[in-house]
Amino acid sequence: MTRDLDTSPRAGLAPDEPGPSGSAGKSAGRRGLARVAAVVAIAGPGLVAANAGNDAAGIATYASAGSQFVYGTLFFMVLVTVALVMVQEMAVRLGAYTGKGLGALIREQFSLRLTALAVFCLLLANTGLVVSEFAGIGAAFELLGVPKWTVIPPAALLLWALVLFGSYRWAERIFLLMSLAFFAYPLAMILGHPDWGQVGSHLVIPHVQGGQAFILLAVALIGTTVSPYMQFYAAAGVVDRGAKPEDYKLIRADAVIGAVFACAISLTIIIATAAAIGGTGPLQSAAQAAVALKPVAGQGAELLFAFGLLGASALAGAVVPLSASYAVGEAAGVERSVSRRFRDAPLFLGLFTAQIILGAAVAMTPVDVIKLLIGTQVLQGLISPVVLVYLLVLTNRRSVLGAAANGPRYRIAATVVVLAVAAMSTILLVQTVLGWLGLA
Amino acid sequence: MLRDAPPWRGQGVFTLTANTLLMSTSARLRDRRVQLARRAIASKAVRGSLVSVAGLVGGPVTNQAGEDVGRVVDIVARLYGADPYPPLTGLVVRVGRRRAFLLADTIEQVAAGQVRLRTARMDLREYERRPGEVLLARDVLDHQLVDVDGVQVTRAADLYLAPLADRIVLVGVDVSLPTLLRRLGPRRWQVRPTPERVLDWQAVAPFAEHATDGPAQVHLRGSRSSLHQLRPADLADVLEDLGRSERQQLLAWLEPGHAADALEEMEPKELENLLREAGPTYAAQMMEEMEPDEAVDALRDLETGERETLLERMPPAQATGLRVLLSHREGTAGGAMTTRLVTARREHTIAEVRGLLAEQAEHRTEIDAVAVVDPGGRLLADIPLFHLAVAEETSTLGEIVDWLAQFGTQVVVGPDTRIDEAADHLVASRASSLLVVDANERPVGRMLADDVLDSLMPERGRRHFRRFLQ
Repeated sequence: MTRDLDTSPRAGLAPDEPGPSGSAGKSAGRRGLARVAAVVAIAGPGLVAANAGNDAAGIATYASAGSQFVYGTLFFMVLVTVALVMVQEMAVRLGAYTGKGLGALIREQFSLRLTALAVFCLLLANTGLVVSEFAGIGAAFELLGVPKWTVIPPAALLLWALVLFGSYRWAERIFLLMSLAFFAYPLAMILGHPDWGQVGSHLVIPHVQGGQAFILLAVALIGTTVSPYMQFYAAAGVVDRGAKPEDYKLIRADAVIGAVFACAISLTIIIATAAAIGGTGPLQSAAQAAVALKPVAGQGAELLFAFGLLGASALAGAVVPLSASYAVGEAAGVERSVSRRFRDAPLFLGLFTAQIILGAAVAMTPVDVIKLLIGTQVLQGLISPVVLVYLLVLTNRRSVLGAAANGPRYRIAATVVVLAVAAMSTILLVQTVLGWLGLA
Repeated sequence: MLRDAPPWRGQGVFTLTANTLLMSTSARLRDRRVQLARRAIASKAVRGSLVSVAGLVGGPVTNQAGEDVGRVVDIVARLYGADPYPPLTGLVVRVGRRRAFLLADTIEQVAAGQVRLRTARMDLREYERRPGEVLLARDVLDHQLVDVDGVQVTRAADLYLAPLADRIVLVGVDVSLPTLLRRLGPRRWQVRPTPERVLDWQAVAPFAEHATDGPAQVHLRGSRSSLHQLRPADLADVLEDLGRSERQQLLAWLEPGHAADALEEMEPKELENLLREAGPTYAAQMMEEMEPDEAVDALRDLETGERETLLERMPPAQATGLRVLLSHREGTAGGAMTTRLVTARREHTIAEVRGLLAEQAEHRTEIDAVAVVDPGGRLLADIPLFHLAVAEETSTLGEIVDWLAQFGTQVVVGPDTRIDEAADHLVASRASSLLVVDANERPVGRMLADDVLDSLMPERGRRHFRRFLQ
């Protein structure tokens, strides 16, 4: 059982640091580090959640935006940043003030049918995301010359086993380190000598195009930046860290900074790619996307890109299905611990397993990987407004948040954001349906 | 089993044994909740008369003449009262555009998905919460509750009402997942009860106490007595799984001593969160009730400011004791020891010492031996409980001390001894605890084997989702 086995502070270690017992001499220093860690632990979910958006599919979508429309999507990304900031803020506010995850809140505040709809949307969007993570793993290995069908099944099995039986937290650190390779993008942007005048004007002045390709990519950009799972993840993170209303200021700052930071990285990806291959039409392959990193890594650009892609995909490949299973388990009200056996937590572990199997299976299909990646993000973008409505209704309710509920002005702003996201999705849907009917 | 069967009853015995075997296997496989369901739904007649609360909501309300007069919005029951099964006290009904409250005595019959009233005319008034009352659909259905028998936190998928004597009472909570699917289905599925996994209402702790708006109500601690049967470790698991307000309610129901025992079993991180959200007064009270070594661990995890706030709210003597413990470094015997010591003098008789121990019964997990000291308070010997158990009642401690002396000197450690070193001593001496003495050889605390284990073992135990987030 859980009892007493991990009260490791006595050994002079921070509670979250596994490993052999530290000597007494070291413990004072470790203690200081633990203090810092505790502060970071309270302020952190927002940062992590928002930056989790920069995964394989995110990179593909941003790179495609840069290659297809050069700087044309920059202003749109600024709008998306505002949306992300507001959405993440609402999610962490719910977590901090109610101490409950979004799944639990939706179950308690909406009818069972609406809960089922939310859960279905989340699962659908997340399975799409898992597909994209495994596609990312496959693409990373194909850059290194290994066919994806030899890599994806063992990778899926490995991730599954690591989470269920193993020391996932160690693996997580390795993946996290690998994904830091993408921090080469800001550097690549500067070394790539983009046309700064153009960048500036596109950031400030809207250059929105009406074409279907633009709308498609815009929805994908929304989907990858404001993914449904991120709100669940951010709220769960706040709850699990035991944040209280008193900590809210810190949490809000963290969520806002995290969202802005994530979008800043996304912008550098778009600009770096635009400077390198802008105007060459839609992104064709992962190798093409890697070209943007040439100014930093030269001949090693593909290797660096593959490295980052693998890390980011593997990281999200476990966290995304896990957070979806957690949210569904919470909504259903069943055991949600991971270490329990299948018999004890069939729903939680079953969903987790099913998402990984399905994700890996779809990623194996011989579809063009970039199209698959962007496709999953379009799916996210279509589902996102549905989940945002729940979030908006919950944060509007005084019975849920009391005095922390949305004020009238914030309510209008948030409604506009949700409506705008919904409008983009609707336009895309209508265009697609018209296209099928041959009317476009 | 077969081999033991007498040969002359061959066939019959085989059938019997096979049956028994089959029955025992299937009984093991069967969810034990079925048994609970059986208990809750005593007879077939009762089973047939179960009414699903989820199916009732939105159902038609008809008057005596059979005319449709409104729709059920919610069901009011006195959840926090003296009754073992909460009686239905009324209905919230939507009549046209307005909501009205109907008292239970105007109800003729509550059937699957519909309500028939006794009278043709209705006395329409606003619902006002009376003491102990809760809106079942809004505040219990789909909300968290503790399954006391199964020791877990779950959500109510459905609630079942049944007639009992001349009243309608809430008898059980459905917690099965298929019930959720049933509720998603068409209306005729919704109203049909599916009591496959039902918890008897008495084996459940709901949290609707503060949910419904209205005046504060009577609360009977005794009504949740089943919670007190939970072992501290199980209670700790339940506390970790609950939402914030539910967790605070559960703590409020528990006796402080019982709650403190559970807190000692919680994971450090969860405990830290719980103490923060509970507020300093309650946290300080818990710290008083907890064993000193566990309290110190919890205090160490808090920030300096929070720690001081708690210590200031505690009785001065206890706060001073904790401060001394806190002053020892982590990773040393002083940092991990308990200050709960039983000390005696040479001239005490065994009977007297047993009396001393009996007074300390609530701290039995912390007491492993009795320290014998001289009039100056210096340690003479540490006598394990075994020797006290086998000794004559009339003999004195001095005799045991002298007898023990022939086995050589006893190992003790200082407050600054490192834990891994203390572990070596513990293993070498084959004892289950070591006495910690200060520079003047006065006993200051005791290092228990489980404290040593705690410190030396890498972090293990149940992983919650948040572990993956970190």
